[in-house]
Formats: sequence, C-alpha cells, structure tokens
Amino acid sequence: MHIPDGYLGPTTCGIFYVAMLPLWVTAAKIVKKTLRAKQVPMLAIGAAFSFVIMMFNVPIPGGTTGHAVGGALVGILLGPWAGCIAITVALVVQALLFGDGGITAIGANCFNMAFVLPFAGYYIYKAISYNASIDAKRRVIAAGIAGYLALNLAAGLTGFEFGIQPFLHKTASGQALYCPYGLNVALPAMLGEHLLVFGWVEAIVTALVIKYLQKQSPEFLEEGRKN
Amino acid sequence: MSKGNNFIEYSIAGALSFLKESIFADEYATKEGFLQSLDPRIKVITFLLFISAILFTKSITISLCLYAICLALAYFSNVNMWFFLKRTWIFIPIFSLFIAIPAIFNIFTPGEVLFTLKLLGLKLIITQQGLFTAVLFVTRVIASVSFAVLLSITTKHFALLKVLRIFGIPQVFVMTLGMCYRYIYLFLEVVENTYLAIKSRVGTRLHYKKGQQIIAWNISSLWHRSYYLNEAVYNAMLSRGYTGEPALLNDFRVKSKDWVWLFFTTVFFVILLYLNRK
Repeated sequence: MHIPDGYLGPTTCGIFYVAMLPLWVTAAKIVKKTLRAKQVPMLAIGAAFSFVIMMFNVPIPGGTTGHAVGGALVGILLGPWAGCIAITVALVVQALLFGDGGITAIGANCFNMAFVLPFAGYYIYKAISYNASIDAKRRVIAAGIAGYLALNLAAGLTGFEFGIQPFLHKTASGQALYCPYGLNVALPAMLGEHLLVFGWVEAIVTALVIKYLQKQSPEFLEEGRKN
Repeated sequence: MSKGNNFIEYSIAGALSFLKESIFADEYATKEGFLQSLDPRIKVITFLLFISAILFTKSITISLCLYAICLALAYFSNVNMWFFLKRTWIFIPIFSLFIAIPAIFNIFTPGEVLFTLKLLGLKLIITQQGLFTAVLFVTRVIASVSFAVLLSITTKHFALLKVLRIFGIPQVFVMTLGMCYRYIYLFLEVVENTYLAIKSRVGTRLHYKKGQQIIAWNISSLWHRSYYLNEAVYNAMLSRGYTGEPALLNDFRVKSKDWVWLFFTTVFFVILLYLNRK
C-alpha cells in the first residue's frame, strides 16, 4: 500500500500534496478544538500506535503471515480527524526517518492511508453500529466490514493512481516514464490481493480488537463515539 | 492444529531488526564524514533537490549519474558500502525490479523488437520501449530510495525532525513527530517483550485462528497502555514547564562550507532541469 518514490510522476505527487494541505489544516483545527489539553500527547502516542500496528505479522491460513494497516481501527479509536493526523505523522516518520514510504509520494500516501482509510473506516463503522450498545455483536461485525471495505477502497485508489501514470507521463514515442502499467493491469493487481487476502486480514484484526475492547475497556469505544 | 507459530518469531525478529537498524543508523550519524559535517537544514534542502531531480528526469543516464553521486556521498561520509547497498536494495528496489520485468515484453509495452526469446514454446518479444521503461523505472526507484536512506542514516533523527520547522510546519506537528518517534521505541520494546513472554508459554505449534486472537489482544492491550500513558506523559510535560505551546531549541549553525554545497547542488539541479527540457 505504501507508494515508494519513483512510482508516481511529479503532477500526481503535486496534486496529492495540494489535496492534502486543506485536509491537514482542517484536521489540525478540529483536533485543537476537540482535543482537551490533557490529551495533547495522545496524538503522538496514537501516531506511534499506528506505526507499530503496521509491523504486526498476522497469521493467515497456509502458514504464512500478512500485515494489517490498521487505518480503519485508528479512525474508529481516535476519530477520523485525529486519526488523519496520527497516521500522517506515522507515514512522515516512515518516509523521512526510515526511507520506507517515499518522500515525494507522502501526499498520495497520506491521501490513501491517512484520509480515505480512517474516514471510510470510521463512517462505515458508525453507520453499521448506529444505536448499538457498547457490547453489541453488531459493533464487532461493523468493525470487520469497515476494515475490509476501507482497505479495499484505499487499495483501489492506489491502483488507480498507479494505473493513470502511463497516460499522464510518457515520452513523445509513448514510453511510460513512471509506473509502467495502465489501469487494466494496476487496478486488478492492487484490488485482487486486497480483496482476497489483505482485506480479510484487516477485517479480522479490526473486528477482534473491537471485540477485546468491548470486554476489557468498553470506555474506549464510548470515547471513540464522541470524536 | 496446523502450521507453526512463526508469526511470533517474525514479529520478534521484525522488532529486533528495526531496533538494530536504528542503532546502526545512529552510529553513522555520529561518525565523522562529509554529510555529517553539513548543517541539517542545508542537507535536507539539497537532498530534496536531488530527489526532485530524480523525479523529473526522463533520462536513464541522468538517473544513473544521480545514483552514482549518492554512492559517492555515502563513501565520503564513511558509510559502509555493503550495509548501504543491502539497506537500500532490500526491499523496495528489488520488488520494483520484479514488477518491472513483465513491462519489457511486447504484451505490456508494444514497440520496436529488440530481441525474441523462446521459453517453453512461448514466443516472448522484448521491445526497445519496454526495456527503456523498465530500466528508467528501476533506476529512478533505487536512486530515490538511496538518497532518502542516506539522509536518514547520516543525520541524527531528532535533528531531522527539528529541520521540518524551516518548511513552516507548525511546532505542534514537529513536537508530535518527535514524541511519536520516542514512543515507537517504547512500543516496540513492549511488543517484543510481550511476544517473548507468549513464546515462552506457547512453546509449540499454534492454530492460525488462535494466532489472530493473540495479535488482536496484543493490539488492544497496546492501545490500553497507550491511553493511560497519555495522562502520565501530560503530567510529566506540565512538571517540566509545558504551557500549551511547545518550545524547541535552535542549535543549528550554517558554515561557509554549507553555502558552497548548497550553491553547487542548486546549479547542478538547474542544469539537470535544463537538460530535461531538451
């Protein structure tokens, strides 16, 4: 899901930086208003939490493992705007300090993983679990569906960004300058693996975490509803 | 019961290698070398110019030249070449190389035939356009990744985060980044210790469903700890004089060497942009 440097052309990178700018400003304003002074470190802790859950190896049938992004979960737990800031910070740390995510693609990565993923996850969860009690099974199912759909939405968007590169950036003789595959290849490739494998990993992890929180610390789910 | 509990091993190994790599990176940042002697702000600006030049170029030769400059900078900064090549090629560029291979064939990139291969009765045609696209793609990725990694291993991470202020990023973001960076280590340690504890108790094979439950329990427990840590951290901040507005020390010094380096890199960038227009 992380887009490295060199996959997207300058126009696409620029567009996503421009698209993210008002979202970051709005997120900062909303979070400053809603976050109590006492919760200031929560953003940093939330960002570190987003960073670390991306490193968990989740066992899947067949003896192998897969990674969960946890974007929908962060959206549900922190609320979509605070989630957006937390994931942005985690992605910047990854790109700048560990060279993992691509410096020129931070805008695009943040749009897919820090905006689409937590927002879609949060609102799908909220819609399905509407009026459900904290310990309702519907919340667990809602979290699973939110994790699955939000991840696939973000993956589809990433595939779309890859797929438009040969149309946007090519030489006079038609040679692709960045990601070499068009929409007919990039979109099914990105969606296929996420619909079949990673989406399920995300769904299971998101649902199980909500299930555990219902039992151990239901107050966190109350808190998430307020944001 | 099916398969082993290797996700536990992977997670412990992942956390350990991450910590080890960071220690290595910090080791290079404190060594004496060309890049370590530059002001972090000037270094970040010049590296962004290099990365932008790689992003804009349409030429394999320029892309390779920039990669060679990156390797030379690593050499003059006392970075172990084997460590650097291993760190930069694994994983993104190797992955990119694999996904670029099909693009060289006419199925994906039609064009002038360069040569024809016969594999298991299948006729595969490599096109000139396909080869150009794939080679440019891979060289662009490796050059960009190398510059990004070189910047992160030759600059103290905390200094790198402070540099963000020169780009007008609000202090609250810089503070969040700095704090997040510290908590990553704390959380990784928590995760590593938890997995070691699980491993010492599980000892044998584990069904994947049970494994998934362990992961979910781990994440929720981490969230639980994170949430309660928040209050303790806030009290610690108050006791150190936090008034709602973070204050950061500015101890950067720009020397004449930094200006010379900035001048040459900017001239070089302008020349590359000019060549790119041709």
